[in-house]
Amino acid sequence: MATDNDILLQTAATAGLMSLNQAHLAQLKRAMESARELSDKLPKDLHYSEEIAVTFRAPAAGDSTP
Amino acid sequence: MTDLAFLGIADAADLIRARKLSPVEYVEALLDRIGRLDSRYHAFIRLTPDLALAAARRAEKEIAGGNWRGPLHGIPTGLKDIIDCAGVPTTAHSKVLAQNVAATDAAVTQRLKSAGAILMGKLATHEFAIGGPSFDLPWPPAVNPWGGNHFPGGSSSGCGVALAAGMLPAALGTDTGGSVRNPASMCAITGMKPTYGRVSRRGVLPLAYSLDHVGPMTRTVRDNAALLQALAGHDPDDPGSANVPVPQYAADLERGVKGLKLGLVRHFYAEDMQAHPEQAQAIDRAAEVLRGLGAEVREIRLAPLQDYATCTRIIIRCEAFAIHRRWLAERPGDYGQLARQRILDGAAVSAADYIDAQRLRGRLTRRTLEMFAGLDAALTASSLDPACRIDDADACARLYPRQARQPFNVTGQPAMAIPAGFTKDGLPLSLQLVGHPWQEAMLYRIAQAYERATGWTERHPPNVSPA
Repeated sequence: MATDNDILLQTAATAGLMSLNQAHLAQLKRAMESARELSDKLPKDLHYSEEIAVTFRAPAAGDSTP
Repeated sequence: MTDLAFLGIADAADLIRARKLSPVEYVEALLDRIGRLDSRYHAFIRLTPDLALAAARRAEKEIAGGNWRGPLHGIPTGLKDIIDCAGVPTTAHSKVLAQNVAATDAAVTQRLKSAGAILMGKLATHEFAIGGPSFDLPWPPAVNPWGGNHFPGGSSSGCGVALAAGMLPAALGTDTGGSVRNPASMCAITGMKPTYGRVSRRGVLPLAYSLDHVGPMTRTVRDNAALLQALAGHDPDDPGSANVPVPQYAADLERGVKGLKLGLVRHFYAEDMQAHPEQAQAIDRAAEVLRGLGAEVREIRLAPLQDYATCTRIIIRCEAFAIHRRWLAERPGDYGQLARQRILDGAAVSAADYIDAQRLRGRLTRRTLEMFAGLDAALTASSLDPACRIDDADACARLYPRQARQPFNVTGQPAMAIPAGFTKDGLPLSLQLVGHPWQEAMLYRIAQAYERATGWTERHPPNVSPA
């Protein structure tokens, strides 16, 4: 059975954070708790039609960047 | 002899243009003052006296030759130390970037130089504009000249302190969740967060791409308008920059507020969070002052403050972590404790929550702008409390989320903080004005009328005499 520390190490590894010491991992634990609280505060009726994050557009002919 | 310490941009420009004030003498006087005061207030991370004096000599020569560039020519300025100036380190107040010498100027630095402004140095910030006030960094945090040993707000803390202490007449800060308006509120100065896209962020270390703004900080409204005039404009190299015409910001400054329709967002500071009584009273009094000047002020309701806060916090965490994760992976011990915590917070937020926060942002923006229909602008709180002691970590932590600035980073609307009086203990109180997108000029007009009616900006901290 995974311990809290195993879960923290796994979360850190998933985020690419392989050099965290125990004090840093304690901070990551607080971050995980805080992220859950924030997630719970988001409205539950948000819909994909409200999306504003998609700002990519294909470059016009001659443009070097999108 | 004119008091050069508290000379504003507009008055200094008149004297410089008339050759009654030498830019070299001006710079020397402020460098001397900074040298005497800054061991107490820590506004500067780095002074650039050689660059400043060379630029001052150039300005003097140009003006003597009849080539006056405009109101910033020969005016000393400072940059929050996340804004690049070629050849000068941009440290972000962090050990992580202590040796990071900028190769080129930020767009705003270029604009200041083109206008003839003189860079005096780089100013203290919270680490990476997010972690502060902190005492575990290579430089101490800036300290508020108002009060004994008080927090000056942040993250553009050095800007606020340098202005309040009479070390500079102008500075550039940045505002992602309120970081121009917070030190403006705590230090009794004037700070504008322009409309998102109004001022280029190219060459500014990002905190959160979709919420970052560069903003002018000055002591007076007129000076702020002059500074924004030099900064505003489209930059195709900043993907967030908008190609929207830039008006003359000072054109309507003296038109007054008679007949203007203003919304008062009272629930932010009276219901959603309870502001300190003296702060709440200051805003209510400000509404009365504006009514007395002829404005129509009526209460309006926006979404609850907490909705904007949830939205902002998720977006900042995710975007900041994306910027920092490689440094954090390699050098986690080089961050201060506070910045590491706030950036690590983003490692634990899901991608779906980030996207939901952006959807929420769209919803909040639509609803907020709907409520502004028929209004010229709105007023509300900026900070909900006066400054606490900077060495009281618990009090600083309590203060951190108690603010009403984040809603307008979410919506991208222009918002400015101006002085609105003082507590019975002599600490600054503030007022926030909020406008329609691209309508910074309307905010300057209202702020100017209020500033003239109240005279708050004429007060300076009692203990900043260097003698």
